[in-house]
Amino acid sequence: MWRSLRPAALLAVTAWMVLGLRLALASAQNTPIPQTPGWELVMRCVICHSVEVAVQQRFGPRGWSDTLDRMIKYGAPIPPEDKETLLVYLLRHYRDPAGR
Amino acid sequence: MTTTRRGFLIAGGAAIALLRATGARAQQPAALVPGKDRLIVRSPRPINLETRLGDLTAYHTPDDVFFVRNNYDAAPIAPAQWSMKIEGEVDNPRVLRLDDLQKLSMFTQDVTLECAGNGRSFHKPRASGIQWENGAVGNAAWKGVRLADVLRLARPRPTGRHVAFDGLDRPPTPQAPDFIRSVPIWKALEPHTMIALEMNGKPLPHLHGGPARAIVPGFVGSASVKWLERIIVLADEFDGFYMKSNYTAPRADNDKEIYSLQSLEVKSVIVGPTEGAKLPAGRTTVWGWAWSGEGELTGIDVSTDGGQSWSPGTFTGRWDRYSWRKWEAEWDARPGAHTVMARASDSLGRIQPTSRTFNRLGYRWNVIHAVKVDVA
Ligand code: HEC
Repeated sequence: MWRSLRPAALLAVTAWMVLGLRLALASAQNTPIPQTPGWELVMRCVICHSVEVAVQQRFGPRGWSDTLDRMIKYGAPIPPEDKETLLVYLLRHYRDPAGR
Repeated sequence: MTTTRRGFLIAGGAAIALLRATGARAQQPAALVPGKDRLIVRSPRPINLETRLGDLTAYHTPDDVFFVRNNYDAAPIAPAQWSMKIEGEVDNPRVLRLDDLQKLSMFTQDVTLECAGNGRSFHKPRASGIQWENGAVGNAAWKGVRLADVLRLARPRPTGRHVAFDGLDRPPTPQAPDFIRSVPIWKALEPHTMIALEMNGKPLPHLHGGPARAIVPGFVGSASVKWLERIIVLADEFDGFYMKSNYTAPRADNDKEIYSLQSLEVKSVIVGPTEGAKLPAGRTTVWGWAWSGEGELTGIDVSTDGGQSWSPGTFTGRWDRYSWRKWEAEWDARPGAHTVMARASDSLGRIQPTSRTFNRLGYRWNVIHAVKVDVA
């Protein structure tokens, strides 16, 4: 019995977690953000403001890096390795090629 | 390092748990702000809502379509609980409650409020901030008391050259800058500068700064701080992020230097016809609103051929010193594709430009509004 239940339970927990994340996402914004690597890190932005504040911007590498540094100064929980991942994510989806 | 990373994870997890708890309700954009469902949600937190141009049909913009610009949100406060300090360069620091203000002489005036970043989304490259199109503007009847009368109660010293407003809105963390804006004393004492308690004949709604907000007519909207809790008389311009960094633009005569925004630009928008409209050939009226910050409107020109030729329109209807004015122009529309444009000018010698030099924060967008229409 355990054998058959465990994968099912695991699946349920995973489903709940994924659903939870999606819900969290939906509640923080009206438009979903692309779920490519690094997208979960954007959930840390919503500690202070909606995801919209971030994803309606279009910057170049310097613009996004300066913005993230400012957020970190305000207390955003983004250690250096996560900042790099975030930068890749943000530049992939929210870049202005002519932007700073 | 491990403990800090753990801390990060806990913070992130807590945020997600919090969101999960409120998820079901927040999923409905319409429920975000009851009564404001016609507005475009630019951000749910802090709340930033834009009016659709087509909803700017009345001289007094009704509350339910009036734009909302919050730098940070504030918790609602009951009028009986509300009080406001006046401090700084004053001989008689005071704490005032609503009934103290109600003892002063009240007046009503129509004032157009426009967010400094209205039109930001049209900058190229993309400028930083809420991506407003044309609808972060509205005109309301504000009732309240003169700021000069309120300040007098605290007996400002001659050293007081600036007046800062602090509201009940709080930054999300102590490290983030509080939203505080100051205006020079000449503007604070000007008889139109007020503390408003009513909007369009009703007690000031919470989203618009109730119970009491500053109204600084002619200045960018951010000067009109909401949910006032503290007025500080200062010797110098307030030294904070929202004066020295945000709400600044490069000087026209020296772009290495920046200044804190004060007056709005001269500007107009076309409300009718709307972008992409299909019109029958024949006589029609082109109309919209124009306003001008510290200047007074002197003219409105309208073009129906993409700016090659212009002819004067006329101002019509009621207006006030710092309100927008309705303008209109008759047009005998011939079949074909047309670009309709409007260009306002003012008593300061300003006229709406055909382009605006890029500025990083995307302010001062008053480029001539153009609307494309098809006439059949
Ligand atoms: C600790 C709180 C906090 C966190 C977490 C946070 N921010 Fe912010 N953010 C702020 C504050 C405060 C402002 C407004 C002040 C400013 O613009 O500097 C802001 C504003 C912004 C803006 C608007 C800038 C502008 O010019 O209007 C962007 C973009 C932004 N944040 C991106 C992000 C991103 C991306 C994240 C997540 C990686 C994030 N923020 C996480 C506090 C935070």
